[in-house]
Amino acid sequence: MDKLLQSKKYILFFVAPAFLVFAVFGLFPIIYNFVLSLYRTDLMSEGTFVGLKNYSNLLKDKIFIGSVKNNLLMVAGSLLAHLPIALLLASIIFNKVKGSRFFQSIFFLPSVVCGVAVGLTWSFIYNSEFGMVNAILDFLNLPGLKHQWLSDEKTVIFAIIIVVMWQYVGYHMVIQLAAMKNIDPTLYEAASSDGASKWRQFKDITLPLIKPILKVDAILIITGSLKYFDLIFVMTGGGPNHASEVLSTYMYYQGFRTMKYGYASAIGNILLLLCAIAILTCNLIFGKKKEED
Amino acid sequence: MKDIIKVTLGGAKYIILMFFTVLFLYPIFWLFLNSFKSGTELFETPWSLPGTLDLSNYVRAIQVGEIGRYFLNSVIVAIAVVFFATLLSAMAAYGLTRLKWKLSKLVLSIFLLGMMIPTHATIVPLFSFFNKMKLINTYAAVIIPHVVFAIPISILILSGFFSSIPKEMEEAAIMDGCSIPKTFFQIICPMAMPSIVTVSVITFITAWNDLLFPQIFLSDPKMMTLPVGLTAFQGRYSTDYVGMIAAVVITIIPSIIVYSILHEKIIDGMTAGAVKG
Repeated sequence: MDKLLQSKKYILFFVAPAFLVFAVFGLFPIIYNFVLSLYRTDLMSEGTFVGLKNYSNLLKDKIFIGSVKNNLLMVAGSLLAHLPIALLLASIIFNKVKGSRFFQSIFFLPSVVCGVAVGLTWSFIYNSEFGMVNAILDFLNLPGLKHQWLSDEKTVIFAIIIVVMWQYVGYHMVIQLAAMKNIDPTLYEAASSDGASKWRQFKDITLPLIKPILKVDAILIITGSLKYFDLIFVMTGGGPNHASEVLSTYMYYQGFRTMKYGYASAIGNILLLLCAIAILTCNLIFGKKKEED
Repeated sequence: MKDIIKVTLGGAKYIILMFFTVLFLYPIFWLFLNSFKSGTELFETPWSLPGTLDLSNYVRAIQVGEIGRYFLNSVIVAIAVVFFATLLSAMAAYGLTRLKWKLSKLVLSIFLLGMMIPTHATIVPLFSFFNKMKLINTYAAVIIPHVVFAIPISILILSGFFSSIPKEMEEAAIMDGCSIPKTFFQIICPMAMPSIVTVSVITFITAWNDLLFPQIFLSDPKMMTLPVGLTAFQGRYSTDYVGMIAAVVITIIPSIIVYSILHEKIIDGMTAGAVKG
C-alpha cells in the first residue's frame, strides 16, 4: 500500500504536468523578465545589453515617478476603504442582523463583475453631461463642485480610487467576516455577562483574534492596488496627459505602444519588488504586534 | 433610555446597510434601464424609466459592435482554461497531499508562491515566447497564462479538501485492485466534486473578466474576448453611449446569473486564498 503511494511513476504522473506548465510559463518568465530588463530590445532583433541603464532612466522619468505616486495613493485609498470601512460593515453583519446573507451577497457582487464593465459603468457615472455625480451635485445645490472628473488632471486619480473602493470593499468585508465567524462565541457570551460594551468586545476579542487573517488581507489589499490595470486602462488609458498613469498601464504603454520592451520589463520588476516589500512590511508590522501581546 | 439608544443603533445599522446596498446595486440597475433608451433620451432623461423596451442598442452592439463574436471567444477561452486548470490542479493536489514523497512540501510551497507573483512581471517574456512560437492571436496565448495563474489557488483549495479524506477510502479501493490513477478519477474526484466546482467557478470568473492577457496577446478582432472587445468598441464608437451600455450589460449578465445561482461557492472560493492561506 505505502509502496504504491511512494511510486515515482505515479508522483510524476500526477504532479509533473502542472509543475511543468507552471515552471515554464510562470516561474521562468520571472527570471527572464529580469534578464530582459538589462537590455534595450524590440524583441525582434538581438537587443543591446545596457546593464542597469533602464532602471537609472526610470528614476529620471517623471511619468514613472508619477505612476508610483498614483499607485501609492491607490494603496492609501484601498487601505482606508478595505480596512476600516469593510471592518465596520463586517462587524455590523456579524452582529446577527436580519438578512445578513442577502447583504453579504450584494456587497460582494461588484468584485465578481468584469473590471472593464465596471470601468465603463463608472465613466458613465462620471460623465459630465448625463452622469450621476454631477447630477447629485446639482441636486444638492452645489453646481460649483461639478467637474469633468475623468478629464481633469487634478481629479482623475481620485475619481478612479473611488471606483476601486467601490468594487472591492465587499470582497474584503467577506474575508474579515469569515475570520470573525471562526471566533469561539462563548468568548462573547462571557464578555457580555461581564458587562463589556460592544466596542470593548470588538477591540479586545474580535480584533486580536482576526489579526492573522487581517495580515493576509492587508497584503491582498496592497498588492491588489499595485496591480490594477483594467479599470484605469478603460476609464482613462492613463490620461489625461499621463495624470492617472499607474505602473501597470505605464508598463503597457512603454512595452506595447512604444515597443521599449526592456524598459517595460524593468517597470514590471519594480512592480514585483513593491509587492515583495508590501508583503515583508505587513509581516513585520503584524508580526511585531503579536510579540507585544 | 437604554432601549432608545438600542433602537436608534439598530436603525442606524440598517440605514448603513441599505445605503451600501443602493450604492452597489443602483449603477447596475441604471445600466439596465438606459440600455433600452436612444442616445437623445439618455442625455435628456438619464434618470427616468425608458419610454419603450427598445432592443435596438442590443442589436447594434451585436451586429455592428460584434459583441456576439467576442462573447463566443470568451466562452471558448474560459471553458478551456477551466478544463485544463482544474484537471492539472486536481492531479497535482492529489499527488502533493496523498502520495508520499520527500519533496512534496517544498513543491507545494513553490506552487503557492505563485499566488504572490504579479502577472505583469511575466507579460513581456510571455509575449516574447508566444511571438517565437507563433501563438500571438491564438486562443492558446490567453489560455496558457490563465491556466498557469489559476493553478496556485486551485491547488490550495483542492489540497485542503484532499487531505481531509480518510485514508481508508483509498486503501479499500486499492485492495479491490484499483490502480492509483483509477482510484483518483473514479473515487476521489467524485467525492471532491464540491471543491472542484468551487475551483472551476472562480477560475471561470477570473478568465472571463481578465483584460491584461487578451489585450496584449489578441489584437485580431476575430479572436478578441469580451473585455478587449469592449475596449475596442469604446475606441471605435466612443460617442455611441447607449450601444456601449448594451454591450456592458451583455458582458456582465453571465457573471450575474452565475453569481446569483452559485454565490456561496463563489464567495467561499474567492476568499479561500486569504482565509485558508
